[in-house]
Amino acid sequence: MSTVNTSSDHELMTAVAGGDLHSMSELYERRHKALFRFFFRLSGRQSPAEDLTHEVFLRMIRYRHTYQSGEMFEAWMYRIARNVFADHTKKHRLEIPAAEGQMEMIESSRPTPHDSAVKEQDLTLLRRALRELPAEKRELIVLSRFQGLSYEAMGRILGCESGTVKVRVFRAMKEMGQVFHNLRREKAS
Amino acid sequence: MMDPTCEQAKALMAAAWMPGELNEAQASWLHMHLTGCAACSEEMVLLGNMWQRLGDLPVPEPSPALRERWEQTLQALTVPQYTHARPAARSAWWRNFWPANPAWQMAIAALCLAVGLGAGFSMHRGDAERDEVARLRDEVASTKEMVALSLLQQQSAVDRLRGVDYSARMPSMEPQVISALVQAVNLDANVNVRLAAIDALGKVANNTRVLESFQEALPRENSPMVQAALIDYFVQAHDRNAVGTIQDLVAKPDVNPTVRERATYAVHQLAQ
Repeated sequence: MSTVNTSSDHELMTAVAGGDLHSMSELYERRHKALFRFFFRLSGRQSPAEDLTHEVFLRMIRYRHTYQSGEMFEAWMYRIARNVFADHTKKHRLEIPAAEGQMEMIESSRPTPHDSAVKEQDLTLLRRALRELPAEKRELIVLSRFQGLSYEAMGRILGCESGTVKVRVFRAMKEMGQVFHNLRREKAS
Repeated sequence: MMDPTCEQAKALMAAAWMPGELNEAQASWLHMHLTGCAACSEEMVLLGNMWQRLGDLPVPEPSPALRERWEQTLQALTVPQYTHARPAARSAWWRNFWPANPAWQMAIAALCLAVGLGAGFSMHRGDAERDEVARLRDEVASTKEMVALSLLQQQSAVDRLRGVDYSARMPSMEPQVISALVQAVNLDANVNVRLAAIDALGKVANNTRVLESFQEALPRENSPMVQAALIDYFVQAHDRNAVGTIQDLVAKPDVNPTVRERATYAVHQLAQ
């Protein structure tokens, strides 16, 4: 019978920093899917997203001594994830993520509505609009809309005030809206 | 110029998209502003809809292979580093054999001395011819050694490879040759020379100095092929002291995936 580990992420990471690498298992259970989704939304590809997720956990182990006692685990983890992604982009020159043709599509498990064709088309355009945003704006939308992070938590990750984050997210959404409408117009003409 | 209240409204609109981010006073201020500002009101509707629709994008899932890879890596990293368990067992065996009584200890020591002296005298009686052959053999061996050492110092990588090959063909390896090959593994700029040197040192896989030097070489090594060869060397020598060094390599984020797999496998092998 499996037991539920009630320790907080911070407690687990503190144990890892103290040499108990087994505690990393539980942190992996809790966080690997969110990290994978973060990388998938940024890169648009399954395999690199998995490699990068794996790498984040390896870096957490490697740099465990840098984890401070007063630190918020989530912010620390995402800071590592952002560095991993920045290194990856530098290495592979992936400033622009997967183009439409190369984009790996995900099968939706949601029930299909009767007007599915129009909706699917809109979703495809939405996905493309997200991909075509500059990297830093795409990251803002991914962190706020998909990763379930509060603006305050994002501020800790990005190193700025939560008020600044809100304005930046608004601008990123506005730019995405423009890209989306341009794509829609292109499609209609 | 943009109205400062519109700028303030943007931050509040972004806050309104997320549950729990807007307090009552802010919500009411935003409502008032949107009622009086057509531009902000339009943006709120358009971008708010888009924010909602983003939630309809399918959720990506990692493949089961990701978890398997992680479990293997973690297992390799949590294997305890082996220290000197074997020498301790050997000394226990020796303690049982060696008598506690000092009289017996002295008798055994005297017996060993007598056997040693006898063997020394009998060997000294060897004829001059045998000495001459041995001397010639030594000279040939030392000439070969000189050639090998000289080739290993050449500028051309092809010559250095020949030097490694020459060293590998020697029936026994002198400490100087071993040192030169170890130096090649650590410092040679050419990957092929480093690989060939590791291969040649396979003859002395139990040499502690070589193993220690390889443990220092592995973290510095950049070539995945050489990293893999060093790992294989540790496995071949069954060097449990290398587990920590290999684990460090596994934990390196930028290590080649094939090397990581090999390293993980090596840790399992050495742990057995």
